[in-house]
Amino acid sequence: MTEANEKSFEDNLNSRFKIFSLSRVIAIAMNTFTQLVRMKVFYFLLIFSVLIIGANVLFLNFTFEQELKILQDVSFGAMTLFASIFSIVGTALLIPKDIEDRTLYTILTKPVPRFEYLIGKLLGILFLVAVSLVLMSILFFAVLYIRQYGILAEETNQIRGQPTAEQLSSLKETIFSQGLRPELLNGVIAIFLKASVAAAIALVVSTFASSTLFTIIVSLVIYFIGHAQSMALTYYFPEGDMHGALQRFIAGIVAIMFPNLQMYNVVDGIVSGQSVPFALMARLTGLTGFYLVIYSFVSWMLFAKKEL
Amino acid sequence: MPDDLIPAVKIENLTKTFPVPFRKEKVVAVDNLSLSVKQGEVYGLIGPNGSGKSTTMKVLLGLISATSGNSSVFGMSSTETASRGSVGFLPENPYFYKYLTGAETIAFYGKLCGINRKEIKERTKELLKLVELEGARDRRLAGYSKGMLQRIGLAQALVGRPKLVVLDEPTAGVDPAGSRKIRDLIMQLKEQGITVILSSHLLEQVQEVCDRVGIIFEGKLVREGSLKELIEIENQTELVLENSNPDLLEKIKRLINDQEGVNLIRSGKPKTTLETLFLRETGGESRDAKNDS
Repeated sequence: MTEANEKSFEDNLNSRFKIFSLSRVIAIAMNTFTQLVRMKVFYFLLIFSVLIIGANVLFLNFTFEQELKILQDVSFGAMTLFASIFSIVGTALLIPKDIEDRTLYTILTKPVPRFEYLIGKLLGILFLVAVSLVLMSILFFAVLYIRQYGILAEETNQIRGQPTAEQLSSLKETIFSQGLRPELLNGVIAIFLKASVAAAIALVVSTFASSTLFTIIVSLVIYFIGHAQSMALTYYFPEGDMHGALQRFIAGIVAIMFPNLQMYNVVDGIVSGQSVPFALMARLTGLTGFYLVIYSFVSWMLFAKKEL
Repeated sequence: MPDDLIPAVKIENLTKTFPVPFRKEKVVAVDNLSLSVKQGEVYGLIGPNGSGKSTTMKVLLGLISATSGNSSVFGMSSTETASRGSVGFLPENPYFYKYLTGAETIAFYGKLCGINRKEIKERTKELLKLVELEGARDRRLAGYSKGMLQRIGLAQALVGRPKLVVLDEPTAGVDPAGSRKIRDLIMQLKEQGITVILSSHLLEQVQEVCDRVGIIFEGKLVREGSLKELIEIENQTELVLENSNPDLLEKIKRLINDQEGVNLIRSGKPKTTLETLFLRETGGESRDAKNDS
């Protein structure tokens, strides 16, 4: 590099600092993603494969309706479990570890605002959850696709004599309506949205926690309370009753501290053949966005002045 | 004030206290400390463990906030994130992301400094050459030795072409050859006009590279000045002769004795240092350097 180039490089650096830089956030997010990938987290796909293949093999003697339902239940259950674990454990593992190992010193002594670090970490985790859900969905949909054609062939063979076109069409419709269908995508999206809220909870906790274990335990407690929150609120503040300002305030605080995660459980309905209204999906997306903004803001408030 | 007269670092009446859990009193880590580092200077900050060196550095780098007083880097308050644009920092015993390779590590920190992709490639190559880790560029940091980690740490500190480099115990746990390399790098930075703040327990090393030194004890700056001012014994003179003989030495002694008020304190053969001997016997090369290639 010539002297003139060096000078312009230096001038560039000084004028380069921006209050918010998407490229810095992306650099931190991709680094987080790479870190988790190289920690071999994708080995879970093997467990997932075993689970859905196991679900197929173990329930062969059931009716095809039951078999397809179990396959979807097991797959959605495993997807929810893995996505939630990645969100909570991934977030809890990375930020406190950066603090413990003092790797954070090397990042924050670069021109990186603290909120960019937090957003980068959160996006990295969400990207990992999204990629793992896409991979699990591909596996799940492939098994379901193969299985529904397998069932169609088995059921066709059980019809005495040559089946009519009408019989075949009706059978196909019955099986396929419980097999691979666009509705399942809503289930995957709902799982991703719930995992995003779980990651944001873990992000808040990790900004004041002193260790990874503490972050995981507290986040899990909030996660479980989040599933019982609506039940508790309904019990203490029954719908239809007139509530005072204080009661509404308490209910609001509880709803922010412990998000209603039960709302995201749309997969049970989907597996039973119900459709998910677009309005509900839009509401869940909006609610997730609200929680991500609130939790990111609270994390930043706690982290901005944290003594490192 | 012209740009080159602005101090690289200015710390004024800095005090930092830490609360003690369940008690009213506070621990005073830094007590009303003031110091200034000129541009292009190599400044050594020395003091025993727990004297407040790292706390001072952390305030300067915005990792913690001052209880009172203030600090600035090239005239910009160190509480502003933008002030870190001209600073490179190597912490004591640095841990980096061990799953990244040497080249990926430099590229990651380069991105954080706002360097574009094309420049990063060039800068990574340049820095790996500077810290002599070209042979280990694609090896993950998990497989790096301590000396190699310190050198990759130095490379990440330099990636954004900082005007100020802060080094906290840069040679801790590094073998003499590795330590010598880091010292040579500090000298190179000095030649390039880069300001360096060095905190080290290896006083000999500080003495070798620093222009000025500040001694911190119990949070206070107890002594500060140029190395010459601090360590020179004003009323003594040293003569080192090569190929002398006993007769000449006798003549010199007699001459000294004839002078009123002049005393010969000692004479003898100067000694080399253990480090020089070690480097001479081992060819000045560490295993790290051999492993790199």
